[in-house]
Amino acid sequence: MLERRNRRQRYLMVTLVIVCVLLVTVYSRESDNGLFHRMQRFFMDVISPLQKGVSKVLSPVRNGVGFLVDLGRARGERDRLREEVKNLEERIHELEEIRRENDALRRMIAVKEEYPELEFLVVDVIGTNPDVWEQTIIIDAGYSDGLREYMAVLSEDGSLVGRIILCTSQSSVVQLITDDSSAVGAKLQRNAEIGVLRGEGGGKVHLELLNLDADVKTGDVVVTSGMGGTCPAGIPIGVITEIGEKQADLSVGIIIEPRANLTRLDKVMVVVSPPPTTVPGVAEGGKNL
Amino acid sequence: MSIARRRLVFAVIVLVVLLLQVGVAGEMSIGSVKPDIMLVAAICWALFEGPSRGTLFGFWGGLLEDVFTTTVLGVGAFAKTVIGYFAGELKERIVSKSVFWPMLTVFLGTVLHELIKFAAWTVVGLENRPPFSFGIIAGLALYNAVLTLVVYPVLGRFAGVEERVMMF
Repeated sequence: MLERRNRRQRYLMVTLVIVCVLLVTVYSRESDNGLFHRMQRFFMDVISPLQKGVSKVLSPVRNGVGFLVDLGRARGERDRLREEVKNLEERIHELEEIRRENDALRRMIAVKEEYPELEFLVVDVIGTNPDVWEQTIIIDAGYSDGLREYMAVLSEDGSLVGRIILCTSQSSVVQLITDDSSAVGAKLQRNAEIGVLRGEGGGKVHLELLNLDADVKTGDVVVTSGMGGTCPAGIPIGVITEIGEKQADLSVGIIIEPRANLTRLDKVMVVVSPPPTTVPGVAEGGKNL
Repeated sequence: MSIARRRLVFAVIVLVVLLLQVGVAGEMSIGSVKPDIMLVAAICWALFEGPSRGTLFGFWGGLLEDVFTTTVLGVGAFAKTVIGYFAGELKERIVSKSVFWPMLTVFLGTVLHELIKFAAWTVVGLENRPPFSFGIIAGLALYNAVLTLVVYPVLGRFAGVEERVMMF
């Protein structure tokens, strides 16, 4: 009985396999317009509306499945993209930093070409003085790098920043021209009227001209005079933005806007040659000249 | 269950699985691996019902699939008929009610099914046959085996055997 059943099962399988083989044979031998090909196309045509209907009915299921599958993919994709964004942002920052440094170096090269008689040392600014009353910065070079006190310090575009007031072996303190104690010999570029530039401590400096009747206008460019021996002549300092009324002592309040951006200094150029020839004297009110 | 009713259940199951295969399986693809729900159902059905019904499920399911695709007519039916028969033969040999054995059978059955299909395509000289990839076959076999966890218990409720499927 069992044997008969097994035999019947095998016959069934063999019969169906033969049917399949015949189907495959006929199908693969006939042309594209053959009976089975046409039948296949016919059934595909018949089923397509049904398939469409089923697809529509099953779309919530499909969407649900798709959503779950997509969710997994989306999570992976999200993590990958986050990582990529992070890497790209880091790269952008790096490139931005490189670009800024490149621009600064280009400007410094231009400054060196503009003053062939001067020798510069380019140094990084590593900090500012935390004291609110002192307008100073700290640079990453000192005695061991050939720096000395009273050397002039320029910004990357060649404008006067200040001068070194303290030197250690590895670092130096630069007094900015805006510092209250700062005094620099200056002159008007237009007519060479000389005076003293003094810091006001609040981001501005004022000019005291020796000639109280000097011809002075807003927009006049102020450069270093070279007097005092600490700073070479002709270094741009800033432009006159405001000319006040004559005071009782006949002085005129001339306000200068420094050309260098003194609040954003990354690198500065120290004039190492020629070195300062004289130690500044003490000006009126105890300020250095 | 009367013979007529069992035939009706059989036909309905084949059609429902066909609709799932043509309508939903594509949406369940992981990478380039799309599950073969019809094959999983054929093997599971064969494990419940034995070689005859496994063979018939494989034949009709495979044939219907072939009809609704542009592949060589009969190749899918041929492969599924063979797999259905041999899966049915295992019915008497597997005494465990754990779903592990159906999963293993589906895994191996899928590998064999794909090999038969590729062999048949090669014999008939199918020009545009897909490139053979063991990776895809292994992925498909694994996917189908996992799908067995769902298909096997569901089909168990409609099969003639009065058994409750145990999970592991």
